[in-house]
Amino acid sequence: MNHYSPIKEIAKHAILLVGALIVILPFYVMLSYSLKSPKEIETNSGGFWGAQAPMVDEYCVKLGKPAGQCTTTPIVFNYQSAFKKAPLLRYLMNGVIVTFSIFIIQVIVSMPAAYALSKLRWWGRETVFNMVLFSLLIPVHAIALPLYVMLSKIGLVNTYAALIVPWTISVFGIFLMRQFFKTVPDDLIDAARMDGMSEYTIVWRVMLPTAIPALIAFAIFSVVAHWNDYFWPKIVITGNQNLFTPPLGLREFRGGADGSDWGPMMATATVIVIPLIVAFLLAQKKFVGGITLTGMK
Amino acid sequence: MVSPAIVLMVIILLIPVVVALVFSFSSYSLGSNHIEWVGWDNYQRLFSRSTYQKMFSATLAYVAIVVPFSVALGLGAALLIHSLRFAQDFYKTIYFLPVMASLLAMAIVWEFALHPTIGIINDTLAYACDKPWLYNIFTGSWYGTDPVTSWYGNSCERGFPLWLGDKSYALWTVAFISIWQAFGFNMVLYLAGLSSVPRELYHASEMDGVSSAWSQFWLVTWPMLGPTTVFVVTITMIRSFQVFDTVEALTQGGPVKSTYVMMYAIYEKAIQQNLVGMGSAITIVFLIFVMLLTLLQHLLVERKVHYS
Repeated sequence: MNHYSPIKEIAKHAILLVGALIVILPFYVMLSYSLKSPKEIETNSGGFWGAQAPMVDEYCVKLGKPAGQCTTTPIVFNYQSAFKKAPLLRYLMNGVIVTFSIFIIQVIVSMPAAYALSKLRWWGRETVFNMVLFSLLIPVHAIALPLYVMLSKIGLVNTYAALIVPWTISVFGIFLMRQFFKTVPDDLIDAARMDGMSEYTIVWRVMLPTAIPALIAFAIFSVVAHWNDYFWPKIVITGNQNLFTPPLGLREFRGGADGSDWGPMMATATVIVIPLIVAFLLAQKKFVGGITLTGMK
Repeated sequence: MVSPAIVLMVIILLIPVVVALVFSFSSYSLGSNHIEWVGWDNYQRLFSRSTYQKMFSATLAYVAIVVPFSVALGLGAALLIHSLRFAQDFYKTIYFLPVMASLLAMAIVWEFALHPTIGIINDTLAYACDKPWLYNIFTGSWYGTDPVTSWYGNSCERGFPLWLGDKSYALWTVAFISIWQAFGFNMVLYLAGLSSVPRELYHASEMDGVSSAWSQFWLVTWPMLGPTTVFVVTITMIRSFQVFDTVEALTQGGPVKSTYVMMYAIYEKAIQQNLVGMGSAITIVFLIFVMLLTLLQHLLVERKVHYS
């Protein structure tokens, strides 16, 4: 292509660095303010780390404890209130339960379907596959309202089931796995049948191991989407704090913030965002592949 | 083997579409025992009332801002990064970070950064007002414009915008947050597209005397990225139609309905005000939009694929 020129290279780096600064800005704000005292946040002072000067926890004083016990540093104060003022640990656990249940059920439902659609011949196969293709057009978020009405008719609103059920069927997962299974040689399956394996055993013992890379990508796709999902939990979890997922918990925190709570709130945001960011930094290639899976359609 | 999948697909995806369609002709609300049919009333309201006109225009304006910017930035970043000799992965990683982060959490952080009085953005902008060289860059007075009449100079005098609280800035601010979040995703798709452009094409075009990067881009890169572009544009459109998190957390559709997008309208009407009938009508119109877009995408991508 064009010949390498150091000046051009530097100019490109300059542009990209400015972009990188803007991209990083909110992460910087989030981390930095989760470390600072309310005073430093209000006056925008203290640099990234804040002075970490000892501060008095007003709430603790109100509880009537001696002043000595209530002196703390901003970083400890922020993260401690994040976990104490709201059941953040509970929210995180809910997030884990919901995301993993969704993924596991999606796999259990879509693997046999994908196998049947790619490797077995049966009456109606084309019709079912066309149904899958049609369902790909319907985003679950768009039909949230009728789903909500249906769930509330059977009394499932404000339960774990409401958080999980609508996502148990991933037509995209079926489609993806079908495309992948089609590349698995038939001989492998015939050999397994010779060994007396049932069709279900073939799915879990033969097909599953060959599909691990696709499955990992799909897992990342699914977990990231549901850990971060805010819309659906917001609709079906209306009051019961014990069922809040991390984003709902954070939103609730903000709703009650009186202005001085920014530090603990940023600490909460940090705790919610960090797990996926760290996972991403550790396995970048896999994550990029997983998130952009929809690009493979 | 497929029966669990079929049953779930019908109950969770297909029946709700029918349910929404049926309810959209009623004035149903949760808790009432009978359904009152109102014919096309909901749709008539949807296309005549000014609230819903504002809803459609906010949604379309939002999509019209987010799509071109996030696609162009994604492509621009991909082209720059692809042509780098050093630190490609560094930029890729950073630009992809927002895609991973919870949009709700980051929206709240942005809200804080954009806070009119204690936010870091207005603080920084105001700080630069007192630094002549920055003031000159931002107001454009280096190029001969009058500093006081420029947007920046004017803001220095009268204060910087409230961003999310100002009806002429709110939609742009919400759109900005989405662009910030989405363009890294588009960048990754474009990088994948770029790496599959055969190098021989560039050599061949050079042989034919096309040597400037600009004309090579239009002659080789852009046409070869056609399928990627179709995909990136439609997926960004579908996603931006579904915007909710930022609006719910930051503006609740306001000020003066300037950010009253469709998903938020469905939520407000049907879930908060229990007007299921009206919410269903919006749902149906929304579904038609999204399904048409997806269909268009499949058709275009397929044609491009066969073409190559």
